[in-house]
Amino acid sequence: MSNTTSDDSLITTEVQADSNDDRAPLADAGTAVAARNLDVYYGDEQAIDDVTMEIPEKRVTALIGPSGCGKSTFLRCINRMNDMIEICRVEGDIEFAGKNVYDDDVDPVALRRKIGMVFQKPNPFPKSIRDNVAYGLKIQGFDGDVDERVEQSLKGAALWDEVKDQLDSSGLELSGGQQQRLCIARAIAPDPEVILMDEPTSALDPVAASKIEDLIDDLAEEYTVIIVTHNMQQAARISDRTAVFLTGGELVEYDDTTKIFEDPEEQRVEDYITGKFG
Amino acid sequence: MATDNAAADGFGEVSRVRGIVFEYLSFGASVFGLVALGVLLVYVAVDAFDLANASPEWLLTYFLTLVVPFLGFCLYSADDPDVTRRAVVALGGGLVAVAALFTAVEALVAPIPRLNWQLAYLFVVAAPVTAYLAYVGSRGRVGGVGFGLLGRLIGGVAIGLAVGTLFLVLDPLVWFLAYTLGILPAVGLYALGRGRSSSRAQTAAAPIGLLGLVAAVFLRDVVPVFPSDLIIYLWTIAVPVAAAGAVLVAGRSGRTAAAVVGGVPLAVATAGGFLAAGAGLPAPTVLLVLVLTGVPTGVYVSRVVDVGEGLVGLGLPLLLAAGVVAGALIVEAWGVPAPDPWLDPSYLTEAPSRTPTEAGLYPAIVGSVIIIAMVAVLSFALGVGTSVFLEEYTPESGPLGTLTRILQVNVANLAAVPSVVYGLLGLGLFANLLGLGIGTAVTAALTLSLLILPITIISAQEAIRSVPDDLRRGSDAMGATRWQTTKNVVLPEAMPGILTGTILALGRAIGETAPLIMIGAATTVFRAPDSLFSRFSAMPMQIYTWAGFPQADFRYGVVAAGVITLLIILVGMNGTAILLRNRAERGS
Repeated sequence: MSNTTSDDSLITTEVQADSNDDRAPLADAGTAVAARNLDVYYGDEQAIDDVTMEIPEKRVTALIGPSGCGKSTFLRCINRMNDMIEICRVEGDIEFAGKNVYDDDVDPVALRRKIGMVFQKPNPFPKSIRDNVAYGLKIQGFDGDVDERVEQSLKGAALWDEVKDQLDSSGLELSGGQQQRLCIARAIAPDPEVILMDEPTSALDPVAASKIEDLIDDLAEEYTVIIVTHNMQQAARISDRTAVFLTGGELVEYDDTTKIFEDPEEQRVEDYITGKFG
Repeated sequence: MATDNAAADGFGEVSRVRGIVFEYLSFGASVFGLVALGVLLVYVAVDAFDLANASPEWLLTYFLTLVVPFLGFCLYSADDPDVTRRAVVALGGGLVAVAALFTAVEALVAPIPRLNWQLAYLFVVAAPVTAYLAYVGSRGRVGGVGFGLLGRLIGGVAIGLAVGTLFLVLDPLVWFLAYTLGILPAVGLYALGRGRSSSRAQTAAAPIGLLGLVAAVFLRDVVPVFPSDLIIYLWTIAVPVAAAGAVLVAGRSGRTAAAVVGGVPLAVATAGGFLAAGAGLPAPTVLLVLVLTGVPTGVYVSRVVDVGEGLVGLGLPLLLAAGVVAGALIVEAWGVPAPDPWLDPSYLTEAPSRTPTEAGLYPAIVGSVIIIAMVAVLSFALGVGTSVFLEEYTPESGPLGTLTRILQVNVANLAAVPSVVYGLLGLGLFANLLGLGIGTAVTAALTLSLLILPITIISAQEAIRSVPDDLRRGSDAMGATRWQTTKNVVLPEAMPGILTGTILALGRAIGETAPLIMIGAATTVFRAPDSLFSRFSAMPMQIYTWAGFPQADFRYGVVAAGVITLLIILVGMNGTAILLRNRAERGS
């Protein structure tokens, strides 16, 4: 899909990881999550302004933009984590699995069991590594072989080889990067359909961050990944689609990553990507 | 030019006088406080154990048979030449220094009452050095094993006595039925469910257990024949404890070891129980103490043998026991006059009396233990429940938020209400309105729980608030309900803080006398309470009463023995709670 030469690139990064090439063309992917005319307010302040976008399934979609542009807010709307903020008000629809998640008959707790989330700061529970990964299974009353699922998830998060001999030691004893991969293992253990990532590498060193980036690439084979990031090179490296939010919660441009980084429609997006502001 | 001058003066000086004055004043005040408290405790101990009449030969004998071997053990397990050198210097130099100082004070200032210099040496040098060595020794593998074993022996005895005491007031027949019909089937079903990983059996366990408990209460008066108390305790406590120990060991060291660890203490305890019944001792208590000491000790020994390190440490209890026996034999053979301590076994097992030498604290100890146990359970459950509700469940804004804030302010204010007022509340609410009776144990426990509830709530709230929000969000995002988040993430993380607050509050409850006086607790009772609704006295009340007696023997001997008993029970309870808290901290 990346047939443009890198001479045209606005930033000197190799766009698109190679491992995605064996998948069907982007245009063929179904829609996992769709927002329609979404507005979000914190009290009187508008955080998201009339956003409409469709997020393809089993792809990596990056949300970028300056601080306070509403990209994290948008992410938290998808699994209704904004419900926890008392002053937050949401208008419009978010469709997931053919259902508006803000319908009255949707139980947000049941919804979150279908959507995994990874946070900016690694937040493993102060429990053993095994209990951390098995947490989602435990609260959902999983009936099968828990140990097998734990092993599977840790392998999926590329952590199994490092921790297989210390499953009973505390998750807090791991390094920052390992903790974040433990959180990813925790998120994929109950086998969700979508994984939301809120700046998952911004608290990590570059080596740990690059491991997570490789991992995200692999995760996209089974899950829809939506990632918020401040790091534009990261967005360019790992994502298939990129959405650019600018101040005021406005979705300025949403397109294939190649297009956004090489030939954006809007002057503002180009200014942001080349570092003229933000 | 100005810079040149400054450099020549070494940049001038910045005054630190205030900080230094503050530092040394605070240091001096703390040291003074500790020393004053130490001196008081020394005098109380001298009175309680009648040490003033201990002859130097008696002191020397026990020093040689008990203290010196113990120090030797600690030094051996410390395995550090530095520690040995420091210990020897402190013990030797301390001996000379205390003797010189004591003689000088006696000769030049004034005689020191009820204290001789050997005793002063024991308290000022030998005891601290022993404690230090015990601490250092316990960090080595050998000492760690020895003290671990000693701790299990003492802890087992304490828990056995406490459980035995509680059964003075609980109906053993209801307990027997409840255990047989409710607890045993429920636990069995749960274990079965886990073993076969069938969630249906596990869910069914709770209702079946509840059903059994209800049935037990109704059947209590219907069933005509019950087994004897000893059999009941054997069946409901000794057998399950032994089985639990055996299960613990079976996973690690195989069936034979498990059978020994479970079977031997059970057999010894059963035999001890029947023998005690023949000798006129309280058989159930003997059974409980033996089984609760034996099984944990057995489990521990089996683990140590498995690890194979520090085996020598297992000899520590033998060393101490041998020291006591040897000391007693020598004193007997030599004909050394032994002191006659006020705090002796009969003091702990007999009722109060008008004669100082016959006075005992038993009914008050039982009363205090019952009240403490009830207060601990009640205030912990209510305190944690309230604080979880206030912190996790109430919204921050809106009319409910306002109501919550009003509640918060009131809880904080309640913590400052004097304890007599709570006594009055207890008298009006529990004793009169609810008809639980004036001066009964249950009224006292409820009143004291109410008294410390605000402190428990506030400290539990602080602990819950200090759990990072990241963890809550992490759990919420996994699709956990608020209840699941609270139970699985927030409470385990907040538990050390909650326990700290509860321990401090319980310490206050044990020492309270004012509310007990208000609810009409007896100052002296001659029989231990035998139900939650019988009249009782608590240790602080009994000690306070004795302090007012005209005979000097009461004021100096009996009261001192009571104070030491109260302190030991308090320190033991706090120690247990602190160990629990540290475990919870390590677990996280």
